[in-house]
Amino acid sequence: MKLPLKWLKEYVDFTVTPEEFSERMLLRGFEVAEIIPEMDGIDGVYVCEITAIEPHPNADKLRVCMVDVGRAEPLQIVTNAVNVKVGDQVPVALDNATLTGGLVIHPTKMRGVASAGMFCGNEELGITNVEYPGCENGGVMVFAEPHPNGQRIQEALDLDDCIFDIELTPNRPDCQSIIGICREAAAALGKPFSEPVPEVVTGYGDCRDVAQVTVENPYLCPRYCARVVTDLKIEPSPLWMQRKLRAVGMRPINNIVDITNLVLVEYGHPMHAFDLACVAENHIVVRNAKQDEVVYTLDGKERVMSSDMLLIADPVKGVGVAGVMGGLNSEITPETKATLFESAVFRPENIRSTARKLRHVTDSAARFIKGVEPVNAELALNRAIELVEELHAGRVMGGMIDVCSADLMEKEVDASVSHINEILNTNLSSGKMVELLGSINIPAEAVCDTLRIKVPHFRTDIEKGIETDWDIAEEVGRLYGYTNIAPTLMRGDTFRGRVGESFRDEDRIKDTMAALGCLELYNYNFISPAELDSLMLEEDDERRKTVRLMNPFGEDQSLMRTELAGGLLRAAALNLNRKTGFGRFFEVGNVHFDNADLPEERKLLGVIHFGQDEDFFTLKGTLEELFEKLGLEDVRFEKGGSPYLHPTQKAVITVSGEKLGEIGAVHPKVRRAFEVSAEAYIAELDFAALRRHIARQKKYKPLPKYPAVQRDLALIVDDGMEAQQVIDVIASAKARVLVENVRVFDVYRPKLPGDKGIPFGKKSMAFTFQLRSDDHTLTDEEIGQAVNAILKSLKFRLGAELRA
Amino acid sequence: MFEELREIREAAMRELEKITSSEELAELSTSVLGRGGKLTAILRTMGKLSAEERAEMGKRANAVKQELAEKFEERKAALAEIAERVKIEKESIDVTLPGKRRAVPMGALNPLTLVYREIRDALVGLGFTTFEGPEVEYDEYNFTLLNLPPNHPARDMQDTFYVNDKVLLRTHTSPCEARALKTLDLPFRLVIPGRCFRVDEPDASHSPVFMQMEGLVVDRNVSLADLKGTIDSFVKAVFGENIESRLRPSYFPFTEPSAEVDISCTICGGKGCSSCKGTGWMEIMGCGITNPHEIENCGKSPDEWRAFAWGVGVDRVVCLKYGISDIRLIYEGDGRFLSQFK
Repeated sequence: MKLPLKWLKEYVDFTVTPEEFSERMLLRGFEVAEIIPEMDGIDGVYVCEITAIEPHPNADKLRVCMVDVGRAEPLQIVTNAVNVKVGDQVPVALDNATLTGGLVIHPTKMRGVASAGMFCGNEELGITNVEYPGCENGGVMVFAEPHPNGQRIQEALDLDDCIFDIELTPNRPDCQSIIGICREAAAALGKPFSEPVPEVVTGYGDCRDVAQVTVENPYLCPRYCARVVTDLKIEPSPLWMQRKLRAVGMRPINNIVDITNLVLVEYGHPMHAFDLACVAENHIVVRNAKQDEVVYTLDGKERVMSSDMLLIADPVKGVGVAGVMGGLNSEITPETKATLFESAVFRPENIRSTARKLRHVTDSAARFIKGVEPVNAELALNRAIELVEELHAGRVMGGMIDVCSADLMEKEVDASVSHINEILNTNLSSGKMVELLGSINIPAEAVCDTLRIKVPHFRTDIEKGIETDWDIAEEVGRLYGYTNIAPTLMRGDTFRGRVGESFRDEDRIKDTMAALGCLELYNYNFISPAELDSLMLEEDDERRKTVRLMNPFGEDQSLMRTELAGGLLRAAALNLNRKTGFGRFFEVGNVHFDNADLPEERKLLGVIHFGQDEDFFTLKGTLEELFEKLGLEDVRFEKGGSPYLHPTQKAVITVSGEKLGEIGAVHPKVRRAFEVSAEAYIAELDFAALRRHIARQKKYKPLPKYPAVQRDLALIVDDGMEAQQVIDVIASAKARVLVENVRVFDVYRPKLPGDKGIPFGKKSMAFTFQLRSDDHTLTDEEIGQAVNAILKSLKFRLGAELRA
Repeated sequence: MFEELREIREAAMRELEKITSSEELAELSTSVLGRGGKLTAILRTMGKLSAEERAEMGKRANAVKQELAEKFEERKAALAEIAERVKIEKESIDVTLPGKRRAVPMGALNPLTLVYREIRDALVGLGFTTFEGPEVEYDEYNFTLLNLPPNHPARDMQDTFYVNDKVLLRTHTSPCEARALKTLDLPFRLVIPGRCFRVDEPDASHSPVFMQMEGLVVDRNVSLADLKGTIDSFVKAVFGENIESRLRPSYFPFTEPSAEVDISCTICGGKGCSSCKGTGWMEIMGCGITNPHEIENCGKSPDEWRAFAWGVGVDRVVCLKYGISDIRLIYEGDGRFLSQFK
């Protein structure tokens, strides 16, 4: 909402600085986004008088002028202007002056002659004949009346005020008008504000005898007011009106259109003027459009309507899109003799949907969408007619056509003084509250603990119902000032605050991942359908059950992710391309799977290692350390996993038989698809499964009383044998003693058949383990028997031989 | 013979003076006291002496032997001391050389995680408990129950990603308010973190995915003053004791009265600078007394229960706290950025 200070001054005595005013408005809920000077972007331009003009020694088209800018010494200005003569007063831009378009002026030499600045024309100053009649002369602007030399251009043109650009919250549509915002501004300035009431022009005859309005859909159009003006004289509106419109960024057109625009700005109520001669039978019909009915709007565009849109029509054709834009066929032209002014109320949501579908949110539509009210519709119409009379733009007809199903009754609401004080934790008297509400013209009276409030028509946000006390508390608090309410800490019950278990687990897992050298990513949840192909997922893969957005940024961000791998790979590509030197990342994030109801949401932990120092086992080591930290037991890695992983370097991870996730090298094809230039290794773990197996209660194990003995075994086994198979056999052999800490510590695959005595198709694996008893020191005999039992079991179950 | 013994002793003492290494000392010790040593040799010739002389000679020889052994021991200790000193001197290091680390450099948490934890922990100290809800949410919870029925103009304040007519990506953590009000026993104090989504093209200050933290207090007697006090205490916990906060009126459909929270500028401390557009204040979040319609919509009585709530953008706090001018860095995943938050 643009509020020119000049306009504000018409209603209120303005006694503070613009900055102070902005601060006061801010603390009342109206943020001044910008204080714009009336001559925006113009600086360093002054009035000067030309005292002498000489020809330029080196250029026929230039002249050298001496000017008086009110300083001790005259200045020399070189100009190419032909319309200036000695004695003229003109605007001159001096050193560091800024002009429209960001042009900056410095002293210079023109064809060898020094020039201290530049004379300005209207375009450089951003003004037109509206601001200064006669300034659009094609050359340098010349002042018609005398000014002191050296006067700032802003003062000379009386354009030295500013325009406040005020942000409005959606609950205050009444403030999208000069009158509404001035009402609040006056209160902020501590001044009274008298509501302007337009004079109702009597007129001649009765317009209801010549024109009629039928509203077929009163739900979408709760009120339609109209008046008629005949004997029109279409001409430009007076300068004062044009200036006001230009100050708020509107283009003056003609007196009738300008009147509707001025009323729009003043009262916040959109109006429209039809050429009555173009309305068949002088009959306005407000009805739903027919499907695909075409209307040409004022901007000359073809609008194809749908049946949910509201049309302003006559009995034979459409003459406007309700609330959005008038029709070209009934536009005010220089030949228009009679007009019908429309001032109506349309349903916001309907105008919103129409404007969106037509992709055209006009000023009018924007106001209807924010909400207008029926009493103001009549005030606005009266104001327009008052202006017609003031401008002598035509002969006003008497009477008003008013098709109204809206409730025009003034609302009365009651609010509780004590409840308001409770909500705010204040101790304001009912009298104080009445005074505060009165400052913004909300009449209230106090009866014991009750405030009886007559809600003015413009405050549509104050409702009668359960929220009335809150509505009024908001007004009272706002006007009293939130900064005047002393902060307190909560009273009443005390609470045992805590971080829930799932949050604590996440903390622990993230801390451990960081301790293991990983950087934490937050990737976007949106992925491209192509990502699933790049990951080579099968058609029936669960991860293809994606959730699709109806309104994504684009196809490449149209799905909610079902895996973290893609985001991890993109991070890898980015870090490799930028040579950041970092190769370990992780993310804890949700993935979503399509479902009949809400999508299924699953949290995953994704880890990636990449670069020359990493391999499958460095990533596996990271996971093992994480599992150790969390106290996971019985974790197993078994070959297998998703298609995006390397077919021979991937594993499914289980814990106590439950699937936890997968780990593997990234398939070379996938790496190419994501343009990852180094080997990369990814693990994706189900967060919930991980949490289920966290050792919640750590238990102390007594220290062994009797020493353990360590034994190593080097075995010859089949080349395809996995270490885990051997470990399982060793750990479960009937050794009659405790077998603990079984680990593989060496694997040797012969480079040639028979190399180091290892037969073809075999390899050597070396294991170490500890033997122990809880109740005595093992004898050599027991140890020997145990090792033999293990070897026997290895041979029997795996065909493993002791290496010679 | 006694003379010979005296000479052996004195010769040994003279030799001892010249000794500079433990090897030389060992050699001397052997040559004097060893099995083939001079002292042993002289004792072997004692047979020629009379019994009396032999006794006297034995006594003296033993005294010499003991004396020399002690001297040699002393000398040995002194030499060892010298040798150790030399060794220590040789072991001198340049303490300014870098330390040896594990092969993999330290990792780091994302600043979003760090700031989220700071806010959360400050609130837990005030009796708040964590709560969470789904990222993909019903329109009903995200809007309707929060006093934003279909076609409410304020829905335009939050451009929404829709999955279908009834399901959307939550635009704020507030739907969790409805979930909590419907399912939990009152009163409670909750802190609700989570990812949220809005149709904002990414730029330096907007991200379509962002992290919000909701605070919700429901009790019989809470007030706008309590809201002020609570917000001020966590603002101070996160930004520092010298940071002020203020509330100014605003509008949200789910709160009434509603307010924006400003904090004194973290760059200039409130004097006014380019970061705060000269005002000395920076806007960080919205808050307010929960709209009674919301409480009623969730099946609780607004006559009995009053609530207040706020929603703070963790991303925005991260940017303010660390002086980050482009929000996209948080989500981009550049290791050089992320590794700064160890």
